[in-house]
Amino acid sequence: MIEQYTITTTPKYNFPQPTIDTALPQRFLEQSLHSLKQVQPNAFQLNQQFQQFRTFEQHPSNLQLNRTPIPLKPNHQETIIAAIDTSTIKIGETSTGIIIAIRGATVWKQNRTYRYTRLGPFIFHITEENKNQVYNTLERAYFTTRCETPHQSAPHLMQMPTRLASLLERWLQTMIAKTVTNGLILLDGSLTAGTFDTPVHRMREILYQARKNRSTVLAFSKMTTLRVNGYLITDQLPNSEPPYLLETTGLRYKPPTILLGDVYVARLNKANYAFRLDIDRETTLSQRLEAVEKLAGNDLYTQSYPETLRLAHILCTFTANEVLAMQHFITRKHGIQIINRPDMHRLLFGPFGKGEIS
Amino acid sequence: MKLYKKEGNILQILSFPNENAEKGDYLLVEDAEAGKALIAQVIDVQFASIPGVLEELLRTLPDGGEPIQGEDIDPLEIAPHITYIQDASLLICKIRATLQNEMLSPSSSWLPSRSQSTIKKLSIPMLLKLAKVEGKLPIILGGTKDSSLLTIDASSLDGRLNIITGKKETGKSHLSKLLMVSLIGYKATVVIFDLNGEYSSLGMTADGKRNMHHDKIHALTPAQNFKVALEQLHLNVVMGILIHALHLPGTSAREFRRTWKSLKENGKLTLHELGEAIRDLKCNQHVRDALSSRYHALVNSGFFTDSLAEAMLLEECLLKSKEQGGAIVINLRSTSTIDRQIVVEYVLGKLVDSLTSWKLKAVFLFAEEAHLYLRETYWDDIVTRMRHFGIFTTFITNQPDTVRESIYRQADNIFLFNFTNEHDLDVVSRASRVDAETVRSIARDLPPHHCLTLGKVVRDFPIVTRVRALDLKTMGETRLFFKDIN
Repeated sequence: MIEQYTITTTPKYNFPQPTIDTALPQRFLEQSLHSLKQVQPNAFQLNQQFQQFRTFEQHPSNLQLNRTPIPLKPNHQETIIAAIDTSTIKIGETSTGIIIAIRGATVWKQNRTYRYTRLGPFIFHITEENKNQVYNTLERAYFTTRCETPHQSAPHLMQMPTRLASLLERWLQTMIAKTVTNGLILLDGSLTAGTFDTPVHRMREILYQARKNRSTVLAFSKMTTLRVNGYLITDQLPNSEPPYLLETTGLRYKPPTILLGDVYVARLNKANYAFRLDIDRETTLSQRLEAVEKLAGNDLYTQSYPETLRLAHILCTFTANEVLAMQHFITRKHGIQIINRPDMHRLLFGPFGKGEIS
Repeated sequence: MKLYKKEGNILQILSFPNENAEKGDYLLVEDAEAGKALIAQVIDVQFASIPGVLEELLRTLPDGGEPIQGEDIDPLEIAPHITYIQDASLLICKIRATLQNEMLSPSSSWLPSRSQSTIKKLSIPMLLKLAKVEGKLPIILGGTKDSSLLTIDASSLDGRLNIITGKKETGKSHLSKLLMVSLIGYKATVVIFDLNGEYSSLGMTADGKRNMHHDKIHALTPAQNFKVALEQLHLNVVMGILIHALHLPGTSAREFRRTWKSLKENGKLTLHELGEAIRDLKCNQHVRDALSSRYHALVNSGFFTDSLAEAMLLEECLLKSKEQGGAIVINLRSTSTIDRQIVVEYVLGKLVDSLTSWKLKAVFLFAEEAHLYLRETYWDDIVTRMRHFGIFTTFITNQPDTVRESIYRQADNIFLFNFTNEHDLDVVSRASRVDAETVRSIARDLPPHHCLTLGKVVRDFPIVTRVRALDLKTMGETRLFFKDIN
């Protein structure tokens, strides 16, 4: 019998709140505790190096970049800006699986003040035996309240951290899309859908909810692999006064992957950096420009990247100190003995063994 | 607590917030398998270098220096664990001894097991028991942090050179009073050069009543109740005063010696006769002038008299103290610099005389701010020659750089109160019985009335003590202008 845990929603949001579905974080907590109970008799092994998982883009084709800039005029009209990001980290291994932690953060700027809500960390012990149950339980928690879709098979053990983080991230994005009105919603990454992480209907739902509340979704990619004529699209900046956008056309992915936004290159200040920016395809050009101009007029920028999104990333990222704390928690609360597994690279190759990562 | 590093005789121990180890505490690092334990003292407490702490702190201040506001929904309650790790501290400890088979040795040459060693606090009573800091003549200095008493043995002050130092108003005089009355209690003879007139009331309680030491305290104020007749003076003592206090040149000193001997042989050794003899002296005009000016300095001091009835015999007080114990307080409060030196020369000369002739067994000399009256050559005399005569000195100062380096090097015990000035700490850390790190680290953080005791009295285990209160009348209080207004 799995106990029910109550998750409080975000009472400090100062914009209108519809009924927020908390089923997903409740299931996260339940599954987290349940999976940790299973690990009790096992020895817990520390990682040699910690990995924080991020997702990467797939390679598209037929991409064109219009190097004529679309000039932007920062619009200082007060606008709520909200950003979402999640992070996951492997904090150790057991003889049967891995121990991971997941955390999500939403940051919003209103009345020139940033506020945040962090959800987590949730710690999971994922094994070959329980990965299906963990993943499907969380999937069901997400889908039963939305559209009925047959749940996918659980991913490979090593993909579980990113997949679980994606679930949490999409849930947070949905909640923000439902609650923010007349605002800007900043996502980390692109508006590509149809991947294992991001089913099309889920991304469509987020964009739909945002449009319904007269908000615009802007997705910023910190890194892009999109190239035109062999050069990265973010490296082909014209000598124009920022802020401006560069338009791309012809971007197609192989099915089932599809793009739900139009792709731009955004250079928002004089710093010589630009980012891939995906804007909801269902919005008009004027809505898009207005959204980016409001962003330019309302948010701070560090190296041309929106501060709200940067804060969301910073707040959800795990520090080494937190990893130690989670290891301490696991040891104290769940009685898992921590042992150091020798680094085989170091053991075999001495100073020439650089470990698995580098 | 966990053993983290050992470098030389420094141990680094990882301590968690609930373990509450502080500077000055003693730890026992026990390696059961080796059958040995290290006794180490915490000399500094630092934050443990936890990876990721900087990022943790930085991300709370991303918005122009103001903490970003928000809410953490932490269902697994990891936050207390984060705080627990973040607040972990690194204890920098100095190895004081190795304990093996209940015996202490100063060795730190072995390495205890990092994984198997157990670390626990060592209480001061247990430490004192192990170090055998005990004796038949206990002096309770005060309370330690773990509410036990620090008791030293009076015999560990016997034949020793001691220094009491610390900045103003930290409790130096209070401790010296405590040591004095304790020594008197054991029938010791104590002589005090009292610069501020604060020891005269050692025989009174705080409310002005006589205490048990009252009859043993002899307060002598030069030119008032402490005068000397020339007849009582030994030529060596007078010559010491003239040469060292009044800087009489060699030729003039020879002439004075002849005059003095001549007067003594004729039974005319009085101030008046001495003045006449110098005036009638047939010698170089400069010599006569030099002798004349010194003569007038002696007369003007008011310390010398021709009346034997007026003369207070220091020797008598010393003899009285020899039998029952007692303190001779030489009150130098209202005495000018030159007169102070004359008096000190006289007293020290008299003490050496009495000790040489075995009229006295030994004397505990307490010298406050000795640089103000002690001539240059006496510093070395005190730690070498006079110690052999039986003068065991305790220097009390708030200016440690005024005490000669040789004194620090040879000091057997140091009672150290708070110092914040680096230069002062540098000077004190030259003492051979103490390591510089301990002095610098612990003395800087000592609260008022807390003393770091170092040296033989504590068998070289530095211990912090809150000096116990004494029911004595205080005389050393600073006169304040705004006292009544506040």
